[in-house]
Amino acid sequence: MIRPTWTTRGIAALVLVLATVALLLRIPAAALAAGSLALFLLWRGWRFEQDLSAVAASVAVERTVDRTILRQGAAATVRVRVDLAVPAGFSVRVRDIPPAVASGEAPLVLPGATATYTVRPMVPGETAFGGVVIEASDAFFARDLVFRRFAEPQIRVYPAGRAGSNGGRGAGNGDGEVDPRTSLAGQGIRGFRPYRQGDDLRQVDWKVTARRGTLYVREPTGLEGGAPLIAVDLPAHESDPETFARFSMAVSGAVEGAINSRDGCSLLVVANGEVVRFLPQTQDIREALAVLGGLAPHEPGAPLYRSPGPAVLAVRARAARRGGREEETAYRERLGRILSCSAELSPAPFAAAVRAALARTDADEVRLYSLLLPGDNSHLVQVVHEAKVRGMRVVLQAPAGAGTIPGVDAVEVL
Amino acid sequence: MEYDRRFLLLCAGEVLVVAVGNIAAALVLQVIVLAAFLEDRRGYPVFAAAAVVFAALIAASGTVYLPLIALAAALGCGYLALALRDYRLVRRAGGGA
Repeated sequence: MIRPTWTTRGIAALVLVLATVALLLRIPAAALAAGSLALFLLWRGWRFEQDLSAVAASVAVERTVDRTILRQGAAATVRVRVDLAVPAGFSVRVRDIPPAVASGEAPLVLPGATATYTVRPMVPGETAFGGVVIEASDAFFARDLVFRRFAEPQIRVYPAGRAGSNGGRGAGNGDGEVDPRTSLAGQGIRGFRPYRQGDDLRQVDWKVTARRGTLYVREPTGLEGGAPLIAVDLPAHESDPETFARFSMAVSGAVEGAINSRDGCSLLVVANGEVVRFLPQTQDIREALAVLGGLAPHEPGAPLYRSPGPAVLAVRARAARRGGREEETAYRERLGRILSCSAELSPAPFAAAVRAALARTDADEVRLYSLLLPGDNSHLVQVVHEAKVRGMRVVLQAPAGAGTIPGVDAVEVL
Repeated sequence: MEYDRRFLLLCAGEVLVVAVGNIAAALVLQVIVLAAFLEDRRGYPVFAAAAVVFAALIAASGTVYLPLIALAAALGCGYLALALRDYRLVRRAGGGA
């Protein structure tokens, strides 16, 4: 309900005094003064509501958020501008209402001015803004009016640990105590090692430290034995935007996690038969994120089609020559020769590029991020094969139910 | 400060209104005092008309009790109407109507 100002309260007190005088002394003029002042306040209240209705009908909100998909606790900058028609004698100020699950407070500004503030969503899920609140007042009344319908844009918040490289099932990503059995069973923590100078103190496992009498730190998967290689397989065509956003966030989170954890990482971005970007052994988060910047579906210039690469062809050639019935011998021999020729003659530039990239890293593990969209994934087979040739462990990160690639050691759900 | 000064002037004006013996003169003076109190007088004739009706009621009844009771009832109804209007406005702003 509308709130009276000090002026209105003063007039109301005057009304009571005049009414008392009129009743006690039976003065008609005092009754007229008291009554007309009371009518005056009612009329002003009615007019205030009328002006407030006009303001409410003219409200237009323009709100922009620099990131609408972000991780839990990450900051997003909000810019909001509220335009409205202000009647004469009216004073209006506006304030944005951040999402209920976010921390941050919007400043109170005049209509037409742009307010800029920061919000940090603290709860995963989809959330929207609470609207805007208009604080209107005139000389007699004041009212705060909340406009819930201006809730756009929506913000999608993913759990903090979801996109990280060590946030898998069974391993916490926070600072909480870790159950070693769970950690070893999951993909997040592979093991423990003695503390070295420069290690992140948050990675110290206090239970193991207490048992062994010296500081031990948790060693995330993919960081054992050198910086991991994070390989990103860009889809050739536009998939579901939400899925691709999650994919991008998972990759960025993995890179950030690897660099923040210890030794940095190498980055290899491929798209069907083409090495798009490669960054060997970096510890510079800005450099790594710059390489990842603007990740988008990529249509390769020379796509592969069911081309498993020369190494796999050679294996098939050898297999073709072996076994089979007597009458198939000639056919198998010929097929083997053809496959061998193909393997030898094939320039396989993609496999060669991947091989060269792998040679420039000291990684023991390749973390392969792919959406595994329907279609030909033979380039991934080549990546996996080249990694296996170098004795690397290959962990595939793909959406649930997307399938797998021959040769990978483990599959984790994005 | 501006409204404090105006409020004091309003109080002084009300003393004059009460001091005037004639109800018609009191009505004219009251309308002038309240008009001087305002900066924006949009819709002021509506209030003036209501004040005239109230003054006529006082003059016709010859007493102060009945007009004040009738006014209290009218104000109660007015307050309810105002509350209903405010409720509808809040509903509309919130997107519920």
